[in-house]
Amino acid sequence: MTESTTIEAPSPRLEMTRILVEDDATPVVRLIGRTLRDAAAVARDGGDDLVAGLLGTVAVRSHDTPQAATVTLAGDVVEVTSGVFGEPAASVVVDLNARFGPTEEPTGDAGLAAALLRALRLPMAPWRDAAARFWEVARGIPGIPDVLVVEALGANGVERGRFGEGATTYGIAGPADLLAGVFSGADDLLTSLGAGVQVQGTLAQLSVMTAASWKVRFDV
Amino acid sequence: MSDTTTARRAVRLEATNHEGSLLGKNVSSAKFEAGKETGFAFADILFAIDLNNEIVLGDAFPDWRGNLYDIQMIPDLTTLVEWKPGLDSVIGDYWLKDGTPVPICPRNLVRRLVARLADDGYDAPVAVEIEATLFEESVQEARSRGYRDLTPLGGSTGATYHLARSGDWIAYMEAVVERLDRVGIAWEAWTDEAAPGQTELNLAPTDPVRLGDNWARTRQVMREVAHELGHTVSFMAKPTAGFGQGAHINVSLQSDGVNRFFAEDGPSDLMRNAVGGLLATMEGNTSIAFPQITSYRRLVDLTGPPTTVSWGVNNKTAAVRAITGHPKYSRLEYRLPGADVNPYLALAGVLAGVLAGIEQRIEPPAEVTDMAWCLPDSRGVPRIPDTMSKAGAALDADPLLREYLGDEFVDFWVASRRWEWMEFHTKGGDPFAELSAWESQRYFEFP
Repeated sequence: MTESTTIEAPSPRLEMTRILVEDDATPVVRLIGRTLRDAAAVARDGGDDLVAGLLGTVAVRSHDTPQAATVTLAGDVVEVTSGVFGEPAASVVVDLNARFGPTEEPTGDAGLAAALLRALRLPMAPWRDAAARFWEVARGIPGIPDVLVVEALGANGVERGRFGEGATTYGIAGPADLLAGVFSGADDLLTSLGAGVQVQGTLAQLSVMTAASWKVRFDV
Repeated sequence: MSDTTTARRAVRLEATNHEGSLLGKNVSSAKFEAGKETGFAFADILFAIDLNNEIVLGDAFPDWRGNLYDIQMIPDLTTLVEWKPGLDSVIGDYWLKDGTPVPICPRNLVRRLVARLADDGYDAPVAVEIEATLFEESVQEARSRGYRDLTPLGGSTGATYHLARSGDWIAYMEAVVERLDRVGIAWEAWTDEAAPGQTELNLAPTDPVRLGDNWARTRQVMREVAHELGHTVSFMAKPTAGFGQGAHINVSLQSDGVNRFFAEDGPSDLMRNAVGGLLATMEGNTSIAFPQITSYRRLVDLTGPPTTVSWGVNNKTAAVRAITGHPKYSRLEYRLPGADVNPYLALAGVLAGVLAGIEQRIEPPAEVTDMAWCLPDSRGVPRIPDTMSKAGAALDADPLLREYLGDEFVDFWVASRRWEWMEFHTKGGDPFAELSAWESQRYFEFP
């Protein structure tokens, strides 16, 4: 009889690429850093670490403002800094209000540019998961309403969600994908109001919800 | 203040918003008479819009701010003057319906701190040096050029104290001080300043609330005279890429008519404590003294503004210069604010620092007797926060300024500066430009 050997299942990968953001970072640096952290975190959940092992520098520029950042990929560490100095290996020009959608063909190392854009343009999490995380992050902001009421219009009609408990509520409605973008930080709340998101609450609540949106989008 | 003399058709109600712009509206004489005791309704949005008329969002409004509620502007009738024939002008404060002051009203902040000083037995004469840059072009021409590539009035060479300025520059300043005399604003001196087109105008010492009034009105006078003469003037911290401009505040403390900053052998203990408070609050106060993105572009060693949290006796390279040795002139010169500061908030910040220092007996750090610019890190003298975000974080974390200015003001101000920072970075400002077009567009005419 053949002797059997028990092989332990591999433990989930807890290590992931470290994303470093410079001190006193500008919004674009914070946005890229936060997005790459979300991308790297996919690996923790068993997905591919899209930035692991990449080497080189990529310039990321806004298509309509002077905002620019340099992403330095060094294997298991990625650094994001403000501005573009020197000659990067690749350059991408993106719409920062369209989830890093490229507006021009990348220049330089096409493979590196494509790899970074894949990480920056991860598919949205389901709106309900994103909303739960959003409300968790927003809880600590002074003056935030107690309850978030969501009406998400998806392929199967309107889905509803309620997050938090308490007396004060804030309502937000719109296309499911757009709401997922707002809740995940991929989209800016104020910008999304012109793109189909609707809100119900006071002006004061919109103000503090803006702070919440910036918290998840820029980590400020 | 001067008496009103001519038949009055209207009264201009005035008060600054948080940015330091003089806001208001004209009311008929009858309307003014009907409301001068009870006040006039203003939408609270005046504390909620930025210099581009966008509603500032990003914080939890206090209870009194809701869906654009009204607040009451109650005129301070001691400020009533004849501004020009047929038009009077009066400055007021903002109050809530329950009779309490709007906690973020700049003038009321100063009033509250002056009252606290009085409770401690002191009054605080203050004076200010106002710097501004004049350009030949009319404001319409300046606008059409995006406020760029303008011609300095009086010639394009930089000079300090030169009397050779051309007549157009002199005519402008003479018209300004003539107008100041007419509306009862005491001034002491004016001179050519360091940069092409730049002037410095010194207002006489008076109590802090009145100085805030005089400062705000002087900027209005300087604008109106510029417009009348077909020129333009800017109080931007850096109206051109090359030169910056500040607003030094001189303060002393007296009781029973005696200057308590004076001591025979140098700074009095009270002056030392005041210095201690001013330095302890300086990093947080930077957010107030440097309100706009461009404010921080002045922070260049060796160019005039202080760059370190420092003080010294008669040391103009330090942030606080102690002038000592004379029973009348002993005072502190707080050299931090830029020309773009809100006058009342600048004064409130200084008074908060002085109050903190004398009430809590704060000992100052070692005096800097060397040049305070370019100091090695090993000297342990902190640098002044050099970005809006760093300064905002310093204010947010400053327990002294929270105590003396109030949590509601600090939270509001920090949030409004975060909005400004976000607008600059995401709406077209360029942090790597020497002076971006976005800044010229936003700050040249206001505050």
